[in-house]
Amino acid sequence: MSFWFFCVCVIMLAVIGVYCLLYTYSLMRALIGIEILIKAVTLLIIAVGYFSQHLALAQSLVITLIVMEVVIMVVAAGIVLGLHHYQKDLDIRKLRELKG
Amino acid sequence: MVGSFIFVPILLLMIVNVLSFSHKSKLHNILFGFGLLTALAQIALVLWPNKNFWQLTANYQFNVIKFNLAADNLTLVMLLAIGLVGLIALIVARGLINDVDQEYNFTNLWFIALTGMNGLVLATDIFSLYVFIEITAVASFILIALTKERDALEGAFKYVIFSSFATVLMLAAIALLVFFAGDTSFAAIANAIKANPGNSLILMGLILYLLSVFIKSGLIPFHGWLPDAYSAAPAITSIFIAGIVTKVVGIYPLIRFVQLTGTLADPLRNILLLVGGTSIVIAALSALGQTNFKRLLAYSSISQMGYIVLGLAAGSALGLAGAILHIFNHAVFKSLLFINAAAVEKQTGTLDIDKMGGLAEKMPYTGATSAIASLSTAGIPPLSGFWSKLLIIIALWNAQLYFYATVAVLASLLTLGYMLTLQRKVFFGQLENAFYETKEAGWQLVLPSLLLAGIILGLGLGFPWLINTWLIPIGKIL
Repeated sequence: MSFWFFCVCVIMLAVIGVYCLLYTYSLMRALIGIEILIKAVTLLIIAVGYFSQHLALAQSLVITLIVMEVVIMVVAAGIVLGLHHYQKDLDIRKLRELKG
Repeated sequence: MVGSFIFVPILLLMIVNVLSFSHKSKLHNILFGFGLLTALAQIALVLWPNKNFWQLTANYQFNVIKFNLAADNLTLVMLLAIGLVGLIALIVARGLINDVDQEYNFTNLWFIALTGMNGLVLATDIFSLYVFIEITAVASFILIALTKERDALEGAFKYVIFSSFATVLMLAAIALLVFFAGDTSFAAIANAIKANPGNSLILMGLILYLLSVFIKSGLIPFHGWLPDAYSAAPAITSIFIAGIVTKVVGIYPLIRFVQLTGTLADPLRNILLLVGGTSIVIAALSALGQTNFKRLLAYSSISQMGYIVLGLAAGSALGLAGAILHIFNHAVFKSLLFINAAAVEKQTGTLDIDKMGGLAEKMPYTGATSAIASLSTAGIPPLSGFWSKLLIIIALWNAQLYFYATVAVLASLLTLGYMLTLQRKVFFGQLENAFYETKEAGWQLVLPSLLLAGIILGLGLGFPWLINTWLIPIGKIL
């Protein structure tokens, strides 16, 4: 398998993630879109590490990345929960209070 | 020893929280004291540098991750700005937050953000840079949502989404750059960029990195989150985030980027110029139409960051020195203006500038300090904001970027326009009937305001001395 095969996979995942971010009206699904994007980039880092013979470096980067990602998602989910408390649903179109 | 900037705050935080030995209000006072000491020590270490402390570069190696820390002149200025705004925010929090629980939470998050920012400016490899950006970002998400009010949560959610997207772009950039460099350190990446001129994957990596820091610093057209997050956040968070966090998270990585790429390649330089110029003009025009005090200041922030980007794009030591001085100035005058906004909101209960008027009569210190900060923002001599803008404009002119130099000069007039409108509507004119009983805010807000106003005046007057001893040496890192 060549590097470009991985690149195509990464781009497909990234497109799915961006599509999810752009076409959803749910706060939770927006977070899932972000997750898919992070998965795409994790795959990219592993592929880069494998094909440039720096797999150990890539592995340590990916482990750190996974930890950071979990922390961010927990905080983000907490914020979504807080919003749900006020508007009783997860509709992203209701986030229109702030404008100007 | 430089590592103590990261380990001391996090250790103090852990000691107080793990050994939570007494009642929360008492515990909070201890944590507050530790915070004051940390910030003061940080300022003292920068202002009176001790050779033994700074020369020993920390070099930590664990099995999984290794990270090196180093300090150069730029780092020193950033550490000074972080310590200063951190100290101010901590004192102002005493006056603004009444709930002990909330104040305790704020101080805890303050420590985490401080750790993240100190680590960020000391990092010497791109992956540590990312990790510390995320630490700071997580602390600031929670800081924005601190009061758990609906608007604050909305602002925080927008920030989370934008910031995470920027993170993805930055990680992709790191992956592409590491592919060629084989290592994450800035030095290795700079070598790889030099060794492969015109390589399209490296260029793509650099552009992704640029996009990521543009989103993180909220430059136009990537500013969607910034006005919402700044204006919806609790008053104390706005001071801290607008004053220092977005500058360290967004602009500092941009400076490292310029340093990495050396003399900027043409496409990258054009991107910087375009984004900087657009940010200055569009944000200043948007600020003219705002009626919310904090929202106006948020747009003003974007506009000022445009100046910093233009200074970096000039690609000379002078431009870099101007940009760094502007970061410091911006940290000082923007936190001062946000403190003024907080004081006005606390005493009158509103942020709508159309409803205010004549407040300088009742709040003399807030009025006077905000006038100084506004004039410094607009670049009126001899205040410090004038000098940094002057350096940036001279650097642009020397680089034969006449169009952008003209834009920078003309946009200063727009800045003066919206800042004077703000002053006239809030502090001058007829005192509104509703505000006859208004009093000056407490000493926790007045004292930091006076200190910051003093720094603006002192830096402006002491500039001839400052330029040769501090600023030009900083520009030499290019």
